[in-house]
Parts: sequence; C-alpha cells; structure tokens
Amino acid sequence: MRKKQFSFISLLLVAVLILSACASGGAKPGTASSKAEQATKVADTKDQYIKATDPGKSPETANNRTDTFVANISEPGGVFVPYFYDNGWDENAIQPIFARLVAIDEKGNPVPDLAEKWEVSPDNLTYTYHLRKNVKFSDGSPVTADDVAFTLTLLDDPQYTSSVIDISTAEIKGADDYKKGNATSISGIKVIDAGTIQITTEKANPLNLTLLGGYILSKEYYGKDYKKGQLDYLKALYSKPMGAGPYKFDQYVNGQEIRYTANENYYGGKPKIEHLIFKITAKTTALQTFQAGETDLDSFTTDQDTLDQLQALGFANIKIRTVPDYGYIYVNNKKSYLKDTTVRQALTYGLDRQKIIDVKYKGYGEVANVFTAPTLWSYTEDGVTKYNFDPDKAKQLLDTEGWKVGSDGIRTKDGQRLKLSYLTTKPDDQIIPIAKENYKDIGIEFVPEVLDANTMFSRLTKGDYDLLSVRTNGLIDPNDSVAEFASDKPDLNVSGYSNPKVDALIKEGISTVDEAKRKETYKKLYQELSNDPPVILIDYRKSIAAWNARIEGAENYATGNYDSAIALSKLSIKQ
Amino acid sequence: MRFIRDSGMPAENKRGVPVKKYVLKRFLQMIPILLGISLLIFFLFAMMPGDYFSSNRKLTPERLNELRALYGLNKPVIERYFIWLKNAFHGDFGFSLQHMLPVTTLINRYIWNSFIISFVALFFTWALALVIGVYSATKQYSFFDKLVTLGVFASLSVPSFFIGLMMIKFFGVDLHILPIGGMLDTGSNSVGFAYLLEVLRHMIMPVAILTILSVGSLTRYFRTGMLDVLRMDFIRTARAKGLKERTVIFRHALRNALLPAITLLAFELPGLFSGAIITEQIFGWPGIGKIQLDALNARDYPVLMTLTMFLSFLTIFGNFLADVMYAAADPRIRIAKKE
Repeated sequence: MRKKQFSFISLLLVAVLILSACASGGAKPGTASSKAEQATKVADTKDQYIKATDPGKSPETANNRTDTFVANISEPGGVFVPYFYDNGWDENAIQPIFARLVAIDEKGNPVPDLAEKWEVSPDNLTYTYHLRKNVKFSDGSPVTADDVAFTLTLLDDPQYTSSVIDISTAEIKGADDYKKGNATSISGIKVIDAGTIQITTEKANPLNLTLLGGYILSKEYYGKDYKKGQLDYLKALYSKPMGAGPYKFDQYVNGQEIRYTANENYYGGKPKIEHLIFKITAKTTALQTFQAGETDLDSFTTDQDTLDQLQALGFANIKIRTVPDYGYIYVNNKKSYLKDTTVRQALTYGLDRQKIIDVKYKGYGEVANVFTAPTLWSYTEDGVTKYNFDPDKAKQLLDTEGWKVGSDGIRTKDGQRLKLSYLTTKPDDQIIPIAKENYKDIGIEFVPEVLDANTMFSRLTKGDYDLLSVRTNGLIDPNDSVAEFASDKPDLNVSGYSNPKVDALIKEGISTVDEAKRKETYKKLYQELSNDPPVILIDYRKSIAAWNARIEGAENYATGNYDSAIALSKLSIKQ
Repeated sequence: MRFIRDSGMPAENKRGVPVKKYVLKRFLQMIPILLGISLLIFFLFAMMPGDYFSSNRKLTPERLNELRALYGLNKPVIERYFIWLKNAFHGDFGFSLQHMLPVTTLINRYIWNSFIISFVALFFTWALALVIGVYSATKQYSFFDKLVTLGVFASLSVPSFFIGLMMIKFFGVDLHILPIGGMLDTGSNSVGFAYLLEVLRHMIMPVAILTILSVGSLTRYFRTGMLDVLRMDFIRTARAKGLKERTVIFRHALRNALLPAITLLAFELPGLFSGAIITEQIFGWPGIGKIQLDALNARDYPVLMTLTMFLSFLTIFGNFLADVMYAAADPRIRIAKKE
C-alpha cells in the first residue's frame, strides 16, 4: 500500500513537470527574430498585409452574426460625449457616433468629414469651413454652423474641466475674454450662414485646422440649457450620445460592450452593416476570443508567436503597421555633467540600441534616429546622424571632454562621478540590463529606479532625474514631438535642452501651413537635433491587428484613428 | 450538548457585564478607528508624488494649473482632508476624475459583479473544504487523506493566471463549451431566466478558479481543527459512553471544530467586496478589482479613498462581528470585567 502511494505521487510529480515544460516551451525568442527580420522594416512605412489563406475556416459563432461587426476596445469609462471624458478609450467609443468637421488620416493629413471644404487665409489666422449640404444629426435635425460655434464655445467655458483637449492652444480671438472675462460670446467665432463658419485666431498654428475641426455637438440637443459657467447639466447626457456619425448609440453594457446601430441619416448613406459592437477584450485572451469568433477584429501582442498563431487560423487577414510614436530616454540637460553635447552623444553611441530592440520587439521594432515617427509626412533620414553602437567612440568622446576613468572603473571630472539615475515605469524594462552593462563598459554607473507613472512624471517636471524612459503620444503633426525642445517654453521643455538654431526651426515649422515648406524646415530641424541630441532616441515599433476575412474593407479601419468613422461606414460583411 | 454551549445568548454573564453594553462599546470603538484610518489613508495617497494630472503630458502648464484649481488639488492636504471628511459625512464621496461619474454610482455599478462571483466562490470553498477537511481528518493517514494533502498543496501553489488561461484554452477554445470571458454573450439581448442562465454560464470558470485557489488553505484549516478536537478528552468520553461514531463526529467533534471558523468567516466579509483583480482580468469580468487598480494607477483619489475606506470599514466590522458571534457561541470565551 505504501509503495503504491509513493509511485502514484511520483507519477503526479512527473506529470506536473511535463506540463510546466510545455508551458515554458511556448516562447522561443531565438527563432522569432531571425524569422521576422526578412519581413519587417519599420521605416518602410507601408502597412504589411497577410491575406487570409482559408476564409472558410471562420468560426460559426462569427458567421452567425450576419449583420453585426464586433471590434475590440480596451477600457471605456462610459462618458460618451466628445471632450467630456477623461479616458482616451471613451474617445474611441464615441467616434462612430460623432462625425468631425475635419477628419485626419494616418499620415496626419486633413480629410473632409462634415466640412466638405475649407479655406485658410494667407496670414494663416482665419479658418473658414463649409459644411456639406443637407448633413443631419442622427435625430434628423440639420447640422449647422451654429452647432460648430456652440461646440467651440463649450470648450472655452470657464468650467470645462476635462484634460483631453486644450482649445486655448488654438488662440481663438476673444476666447480669453469669454473664459476669464465678462464676454458673453467669443468674438473670433463668426457664423456666416447656416453652412459656413469663420474662426479667427491670434497666432498661426498648423494644428488649428484639425483642432478647430473636431467632433460636432448638436446645439439643440446639448446646448438647450447651456449657460456660461454651468456645465453640470451635461452629466445627464453622458450616457445618451447623439451625433452625426455613421452609427447611433444603442447601449453600454457596463464593462462588457458598447452597442451601436446604423444611422439612416448619415451623410455618406446608411452603413451596410446594421449593428456595431465594441467589445471589451483583455490583451491576454484577445487571441482566444478572436479564434473562437467572438470578435471580428482585434489588436494583438507584437511578436512572432502571435503572428504564427494568427496565420495558422486561416481566416484572419493580418495587418502589421508602424505605430506613429517613438520611444526615447530623457537626458536632464540641466545637470552640469549632462549639458555638454559630447556627453549626450557618447551616451547614445555607448548604448546598444539594436540589442534593446531585438529583445523588446523580436524583429518588430527598429532603432529610431529621427525625431518623428516613420509614418509622418515629415519623416526623412536625409543628413541625419545615426548613432550606431560604438563604445570606443563613446569612450573617446568622454575622454576629450575630460572625464577620466577612476580606480573603480567609473569616470570622474572635477570630483563629480559619472553616476546616472534612470527612471522607468516598467519593472521588466529591457533597457535596464543592457544599458547597465553597456554604460559600465564606458565608465558610467547606471542606477535604475522603477516608479509608478505619476511619480515619475512629477519628478520629470521637477527635474529630479538624470535619465528617464518614455514614449511619445501618438503623433499627428511633426510639431507634436519637437515642441518640447524649444528653450523659450521652459514649462514644456522638461529636458532643459537649449539650442538657438533648434528654437528658430521649431518656430518656423509652425509659422506656415504649407506642407512643402514645412517639410524643408523639419528636414533641417531633424539634422540639427541629431547633431546636438537633446535626448537618446530608442525605437520605432510595429503593431499587429487582425480581422476576420468575412469583414470587407477593414484594411482601412483602425479603432481610434481620426478617420475611423469614415472607414467604418464603408465596411460590409461577405455573406 | 453540554460540552458545546448554553442555549441562546445570556442577557448577562456570571460576572455581571451586560452583553448589550459590550456590543455597544465594541461598536463605538469602531468610530475612532475608522477616523484614524481615513486620516492615514488620505495622507498616504496625497503624499505620493504627482497627482491625477501629472502623467498627462498633453497638458500645458497653464491648463494644468487651471484643472488643479477646478478640482481643488492645489489646496493644502489638511484642508483637502477636511473637505473630504465633511462631504463624506453628507454621503457625498466625490466624483471620479477618471470615469467622470459620482464615486458611489461607479462603485455600485461594478461592486455587485464582484460580489456575486466572490459569494458563490465562498460558498463552494467552504462547502468543499468542510466536507473534504472533516472527512480526511476522520480518515487520517489514509490514501484519501494523503491525496487531499497533495491536492491542498497543489491548490496553494498553482498560479491563477496559469490555470485560468489553461481553462480558457481547454473549455473555451478547444471544447467550445464555456464562454471565454465577460459576463454576457456578445450582443446578447436575453432577459429574465435566459439572462440568469447566461450569467451563470459565464460565472463557471471564474468561480471555479477562485474556489480552487482558496479551497486548499481552508481544507487544511478544517482538517487540523478537526484533528485537534478528535484528540480531546470529551471525545474519548463520548466514545466511551458508547455513542455512535457518527454522533461523536458530527454532534460533538464537528461543532467544536467549527468554532474558530466563525472568526474566519467574519474575516471573509471584506473579501466579498474587494474583487479578485487577476481573475477578473483574465476572464474579462466587469468587477471592482480592476476599477480599484486603475484608480490607484491613475491617482483617482476619490475612488481610491472611498473604496479603501469601504474595505477598511468591512474589515473592522468583520472583526466586530467575529467578536460578538464568538462570544455568543462559545461559553468559554466570555467577557470578563476588568478587576
């Protein structure tokens, strides 16, 4: 009896061991990068498609939904009025419901939405938008210039508390008098006729065209009870959105999904797919949910394993696209030991960025050398200095600057040891082990600290750091990523970088809306920034999205894009 | 019977401390404790560097100042605490910055989802642990007992994340008999009984995981408790009296072994409402655990304060209940007047 039990237990143990071996066998980093290398180059900004090999394999659960498209969403909060949420996912959730005046395509170009055309005055201060004829909100009432005026006025209300949009950067004439003074309306907003609105600003800003041309709220629906300084009444409407987009709001099942139905009054015609659902999916089970047919479209973890599994499904169309952002490490230019250009150059040369990217993205990322995303129209590598990994060069640069290696292998200069703190929010930050080794090699002590985001950013604004790892927000305009390096904006310029040439070029970049002219300016700016780097650029990355091949037209659709509603209205289901 | 307890709760014990007075005193003690906790939590949260807006890098410094002023975040911490306290007394627990909803509405919307899975899981955990624990104690060193011990350790050591995903793969994707996640089917419009069935079907996996995770330790607890009691003199006496083994086990031993469990059960009270962060996440269950985690990450103070205070209250209240119930159930533990 005793013996028997023992053997039973040992049998169980063996089984557990085998199981755990299976589990760890899941990720094979070695094979992944080699396989992916041939396929992807981030700077090649074209999306990469992998067509479904066998659409017939689409699961029954999905095929049974003949009039419903199910896409993923992460964490909506439930405030479904544009500009009044504080959660970026809510913006994704309202996009099907609210059309914009001007949409923005993936490259950052303006696209007509409710406005069929617009004019910008030669001094770039006055914007005139012409609405489409006969556009209606989903309740059948017409969209007029009054609605546009109302929307912009709301954003300038003194009690407007959301942090998602800051209309003050548009510097609409008279907005300050409205917000802080006694003005009862904004003088810079002029309704010319029901279909035309003119907005005068005080400063040229190429972002204004799309900033002023955002989602339009119905004055009749949202503005009936509006009085300056009193926005509380809107809270009752947070859960009852009504706009001019391709879909109407149906229901939000808390924490589960958001349901929409097609809007028969949409200017582009009623969408072919009657129902739309944004289902909340978790990153960990997104693939299983998609595989089981419960979603039609989702985005997935970017690695070779996931891609292989998606391809094996057969029914998945896969899109690998470059994400419009980049990762970088702030260098505190205000610190005496980091203010020299050569030291920052040495920090870049001395870091094996390629290795970081190989580990982090397993082939789906690339070393960043330009201060913008590869998807943006301003991107150019022309004349940009690329800091390929070169520890010898880094050492030499530090030597010339007078940093001498001490007895402990760490460099010192005037009694100052070259010991750098590094702040990050990720406990498993892949930069840490690589940078620690690389920097030790060139005589720099690297001290990582893992913090939560709010603590880290408050230390960033206080200047209490040496190095700090971040990503940019999703970039739409080239100015988005470079604005923070202007020395005349000390509050924005958290790195403390100062270069008069860069200052001038940043200003020049937003002084005109002419794209060709701006392109030339940004080319010069990228060159200058690369020669005198304010920060250490790290990576560009790709993302993987896949959709069931039964959905046609989904290659143009990505949840969250500023033209997603237009793409959404054109989708259809292959029966 | 006499070994266990007197029937009902005496109005006054032998030394003359009225039970009512004791209960009242214990209850009043909760108030300063709660106040102290609120002070501590508020300051801990407020002292953390950064606030809700500091990680939003799109904001200009002017707008940041405006927003902080609008939400009163620029006032001294002490003042903010008293504002919070005053509002809390009026039943106003603030407005979630992240969700743009009154905190009570937000919590009410999600906490019951957490409650139902926790409650059902609690029920199964206790039922299973009780049956298995008692049975294996009476059959100490048997094959079954050893199997239980093995199972207990397995249950204690398996990570929920792993079995959760395994179950999803097996039942959800391969066999296709259970839903992968969420609380309802995609686009479901079911009502009434069909709705109930649908939610039940979605509950199976999360409840199973929660039960598997906690049944181990509790089984061990019951087994040990039962073994202790079985060695007591009064059990030997009961057996010597010639009582049936069933009577000895269930009437005498089990009742005594269950006494300490009262305390344990009262301590489960906060757990019913706190949500299971990992399980909720894997199964896409719209519970409060995620809301709390998000609030912490985003520094959504009103949500954090209210939830933490609520859980503190439940913990303290659970303690209070445990004391009162225990005193009522066990004659050996009676309140003694201080000499």
